[in-house]
Amino acid sequence: MDLQCIGKSILRTDAYDKVTGKAQFVADIKLPRMLYARILRAEYAHAKILSIDTSEAEKMPGVMKVVTAQGCDILFGACIKDQPPLATDKVRHAGEGVAAVIAETERQAEEATKKIKVNYEPLPYVIDPLEAIAEGAPIIHERNHEYFRVPGFPPVKGTNIFHHYKLRKGDIEKGFKEAEITVEENFYYPLLSHVQMEPHGCISYWDSPESVRIIASTQAPFIVREIVAQMFHIPMANIKVEALYLGGGFGGKSDVVIEPMCAYISRFVPGYPVKLILTRKEAFTSSLVGRGMRGKIKVGAKKDGKLVAIEASLYYADGAYGDTGCNVVTASGFVATGPYEYEHCKIDCYGVYTNTPPVGAYRGYGHPEAQFMSERIMNILAEKLGMSQQELMRKNFLCDGKVNAIGQIIRPGNGNLYKCLDEVEQALYEVPKPQEDENFVYGRGLAAFMKTPMMIPHASSGAILRMCEDGSFNISISGIEMGQGCQTVLSQIAAETLKVPLEKIHISKHVDTQHSPYEWQTVGSITTYRAGNAIIQACEKAIQKMLETVAAIYHRHIGDLKYEGEFITSKSDLNLRFETKKLAQAYLSPDGHGVGEQIVTGGSYLIRNVQFPHPETGQGNCAGTWTFACEGAEVKINKHTGDVDITHLAVAIDLGRTLNPSLARIQMIGGMMMGYGATLTEELIFDDRGKIKNANLNQYKIPKLSQMPEKFTVKFVETPDEAGPFGARCIAEHPVIGIPPAVLNAIKDATGVDLFEIPVKAKVLLEKMGGKK
Amino acid sequence: MKTMQLTVNGKAHTVHYDDKTMLIDILRDKLDLTGTKNGCGHGACGACTVIMNGEAVRSCIIKAAKAEGKEILTIEGICEGNKLHPIQEAFIQAGAIQCGFCTAGYIMTLHALFTKSPDATDEEIKKVLEKHLCRCTGYETIWEGAKLARRMMKEKITL
Repeated sequence: MDLQCIGKSILRTDAYDKVTGKAQFVADIKLPRMLYARILRAEYAHAKILSIDTSEAEKMPGVMKVVTAQGCDILFGACIKDQPPLATDKVRHAGEGVAAVIAETERQAEEATKKIKVNYEPLPYVIDPLEAIAEGAPIIHERNHEYFRVPGFPPVKGTNIFHHYKLRKGDIEKGFKEAEITVEENFYYPLLSHVQMEPHGCISYWDSPESVRIIASTQAPFIVREIVAQMFHIPMANIKVEALYLGGGFGGKSDVVIEPMCAYISRFVPGYPVKLILTRKEAFTSSLVGRGMRGKIKVGAKKDGKLVAIEASLYYADGAYGDTGCNVVTASGFVATGPYEYEHCKIDCYGVYTNTPPVGAYRGYGHPEAQFMSERIMNILAEKLGMSQQELMRKNFLCDGKVNAIGQIIRPGNGNLYKCLDEVEQALYEVPKPQEDENFVYGRGLAAFMKTPMMIPHASSGAILRMCEDGSFNISISGIEMGQGCQTVLSQIAAETLKVPLEKIHISKHVDTQHSPYEWQTVGSITTYRAGNAIIQACEKAIQKMLETVAAIYHRHIGDLKYEGEFITSKSDLNLRFETKKLAQAYLSPDGHGVGEQIVTGGSYLIRNVQFPHPETGQGNCAGTWTFACEGAEVKINKHTGDVDITHLAVAIDLGRTLNPSLARIQMIGGMMMGYGATLTEELIFDDRGKIKNANLNQYKIPKLSQMPEKFTVKFVETPDEAGPFGARCIAEHPVIGIPPAVLNAIKDATGVDLFEIPVKAKVLLEKMGGKK
Repeated sequence: MKTMQLTVNGKAHTVHYDDKTMLIDILRDKLDLTGTKNGCGHGACGACTVIMNGEAVRSCIIKAAKAEGKEILTIEGICEGNKLHPIQEAFIQAGAIQCGFCTAGYIMTLHALFTKSPDATDEEIKKVLEKHLCRCTGYETIWEGAKLARRMMKEKITL
């Protein structure tokens, strides 16, 4: 295939908007008669609300309305309806919204929140998921088992467990009997904040009791529409959810976050747009957080390194509400094995209510937590078996004909882990490791992983194509451009399929649920894959329509015609060269009549045959597509301080086909650096009252430029995907996944110290290094 | 409310403010210059960086009163019509952009640096970039973009 656009490092189509400051984000929007909201936040992690007195606040200057959810019986959620728009009978995490003030200015609203008097009865609280499931733990949702939920999310009555995903393959007892060597360890992956540079924002405006317009910082405008429709029993068609450019998402703006609350409070001031922009502190305490896993893993192998059995339990501190975290829990179970075949698996993943902000999607969606364990345990097992980790990995990699934990047979079209490992191995080991010196000790480590886009079986993407009279194309999709570059890559896909120059393609910049095609949500790294296929379908339909019209005009068989982009030609008549742009709005024939119709087409794509997991075995065709990759790290550790310096990060990913090499590279590097932060510096810390202590960017430390390793290696393996557009696979979240285990394996290589928790603390490492000497 | 004058992107403005008004509020709310972003409100992320009398400053922590009589330059003021500034071009060419929320801050910081020191060393560039946060790119292309911008400005390369 001779490709013009695919595979080229096309510059970003949104670059001009962004370097000039013209790109619009929610906070930039001002509407006539706009009001501003501020939220009174709970100071307690867990407390009964005895009373709320808003009378003083109502008298404050500029105040239009003070809203509480006292007496409100709305509970929302897509899978588990357990969350009110503002706290009702009690608060379940510090930072939860208790009351809202709507005023003429943001500052007036803020001042008035200080006048609201809330009478609380503090309750015991719990932050750690293991403590939350212990006997006598405070119960966070007394009605846990009564909430409406879709099948597949079984709660355990009378406990804080709101979801238990279990996976059973083979016979675990038999498996461990067959095993000649077993290893077992406990792991901890703390709660993290996404730290998108753009804090969450929402503008909500009821123009009639049955109709609302919402402009939100969201990855999921159609989920917002669904939830808002359910909350207020209004037709979805009346709801207009708009999404603009998004200043980073990373999952923390998927599903719903602040939108239900904004829709709820703005309903009290019909006719006025109400704007709420979270402060950075609120983005930490009162949006979504990620991860928060305590886990235990035990694996058994034969002496020759063949893996036979795995038993794992993963407990997630999913926070005050379970809806946004429940599928993360399940997804982690799918990949708890890592990318290896085990005949016998027993995996239990628990979503546990804790008095922390709700966990939601966070780049990787359960895959980083689970494979932090699997990739560390491979390292430990290899040592015990007396073989290299790479040898153990190669012996057990999922590949053609192997069966993964959920029972899918892996096909060559799923990708090639061996090639990925070869690339990373070469990058890490091409030069000898520096010798330990007076101050430093050096190490190298590896990890492999797999990732699937977790989704509902009928999650689909749509595309609408409209041809303009000059031969350019408007293509609407509802994938959100949040930095990943989907607008650019989807333009490339459209240009390639339509055989027109890239400049002729205009992909919609904003999404609006009343005018844009349906898209489940921009999550799971799947926009290029799913919306890309929807675009290809829309383009192919348009081409077909053009060919049919030209065939009618010239009374020819369609098979005689050839679509060449800007022209349609005939195979038998070299003089026939028809300008396709003449077809855009039906064709005006030389004798003055119209032929054909507008070139307007739609495409939609859904990965076929995806299922919910079986309720008993947890198995099934639950994963629509897989991506395999390996990562590696080199570290330099200060022997006197325990400080870890990551000097090299490497990734080799089987992305099927590289659609845009520079965009793919930046996505890999950004992801690896996010993994770097999780490994060395990031964690949400709770004080002795259960409040987040480091809810600011000085104390919650995301990586800075100076922390960039001396070297990045980014390699692309290209085993075409069977269904992806031009063979491409999902890749966006992925590079974050393998970094923590690769770095910890490198630390082990350097120091002999096995670590099981992140972030790595120099003091702890130093202490353990001392102990080893 | 007090009243003051300041010059923004070459144009004189009279604005009202009080003790709690920050420079960013003047720019975004009163003058609708929304290219300057508020990422943290406490001077930690750099997204709100603008140039005040030649110095790169964090507009979210500069009290409005401090801007009285000053010359402010924002991202909206560095193009000539539709012609991009070399730093903007360099960021596009180097692929130094993802979500775009931090971008203006970086560009303004580099604008201040290269205007004062066209020959800024790598270390000097790193020093100013270190005060900014980007969650998307992992910094590699921002670093490349900054170096390209230095070369383009110095050699007067236009695209």
